[in-house]
Amino acid sequence: MYAYRSISPLTNVPERILIVDDEDLIVLAMRKYFQGLGYEVDSAFELEEAQALLANYDYDLVIADLRLTGIGGVEGLQIVADVHQKCAHTRVILLSAFGTPEIERESYNRGADAFLHKPKAMMEIAKIARTLLEA
Amino acid sequence: MTEHRALNAILEPGGITPMYQPIVAADGSLVAFECLSRGPRGTNFESAKVLFDYVRLKREETLVDRACIVAALATAPKGDGIRLAVNVHASTLGRDHDFTDFVCATADRNGIARERITIEIVEHAPPWDSIGFGTALDRLRGAGMRIALDDVGLGQSNFKMILDVRPDYLKIDKYFVEECDADRHRQAVIGALSTLASHFGAEIVAEGVERESVRDTLRDFGVQFMQGYLFSKPLTADAAAAFGRVDA
Repeated sequence: MYAYRSISPLTNVPERILIVDDEDLIVLAMRKYFQGLGYEVDSAFELEEAQALLANYDYDLVIADLRLTGIGGVEGLQIVADVHQKCAHTRVILLSAFGTPEIERESYNRGADAFLHKPKAMMEIAKIARTLLEA
Repeated sequence: MTEHRALNAILEPGGITPMYQPIVAADGSLVAFECLSRGPRGTNFESAKVLFDYVRLKREETLVDRACIVAALATAPKGDGIRLAVNVHASTLGRDHDFTDFVCATADRNGIARERITIEIVEHAPPWDSIGFGTALDRLRGAGMRIALDDVGLGQSNFKMILDVRPDYLKIDKYFVEECDADRHRQAVIGALSTLASHFGAEIVAEGVERESVRDTLRDFGVQFMQGYLFSKPLTADAAAAFGRVDA
């Protein structure tokens, strides 16, 4: 088992994660998993809800689905932009079941720290998250 | 698909929980309640800041302002002498041409005299229909209501807005109020706003009063009304009703 530490070495409080996905079950599963690892977890189902949370709270990590509004949506890219406009230290992982090489490249260009293709095992996402948070 | 699901939850009956924060005169007597709103329980929107940031991003201020007023007036504390301040976006006043009729009907339905109501204008960000905005202000005043300008000195709540609105009340944000007892620069701002208000025939409401020394400083500057945790945090409808009875 990967050794997790979810207490920020800088603030000595639990690291805070925002999970953004329009699928209830995915949000529920990710919340439970990351809370179980000791993170403080918020979640949002749509772009504007995520933006309102980002405007009011600081997050160590955002894990967002690329597509939040159906066919062709790339709201995750907007979330990456919003995160980096507000807080340079916040890491962003984008998830997508529809990622093309162009979208993946664009995500990194906008400042995403990782782009993961769905489906991806929760343990693997958590491992990448840990690596990013400790970088 | 979850698009608009959160908005629907906010707008459905019971989606908005009203809270009431007392506003007191300089002598400590209760003069009004500011009606505040919390979103659905167990969601991110229990935080008013998240709720209204979300609503503005969705550009649904008009719908949600109406929902908040319905919720606030339905359970507002009774008491003819106690005013009720409801928050309304400037954009709502500009866009919603039936807004005055709506407020009047909601007040009438709940047995609340229109003269008790203060329309507190928040988030004055353009763009908005300035002609519609002015007309709405005239109609609200014509119906007996008063107008307050929130967050004076911050953002878009500036001198132009004061000229455009000619408010009955200027609300000074907590940013200027807290620490004003020990900060002569904040005192200068409060003094200037107090003088400005007197030229307009308006009264000052200081928000975020949490310490006695701040209250005393505000009194020295002639601030007429105050609200903040020194007097009371926002209260549920039942607690606000009890607060009003005790104060009476």
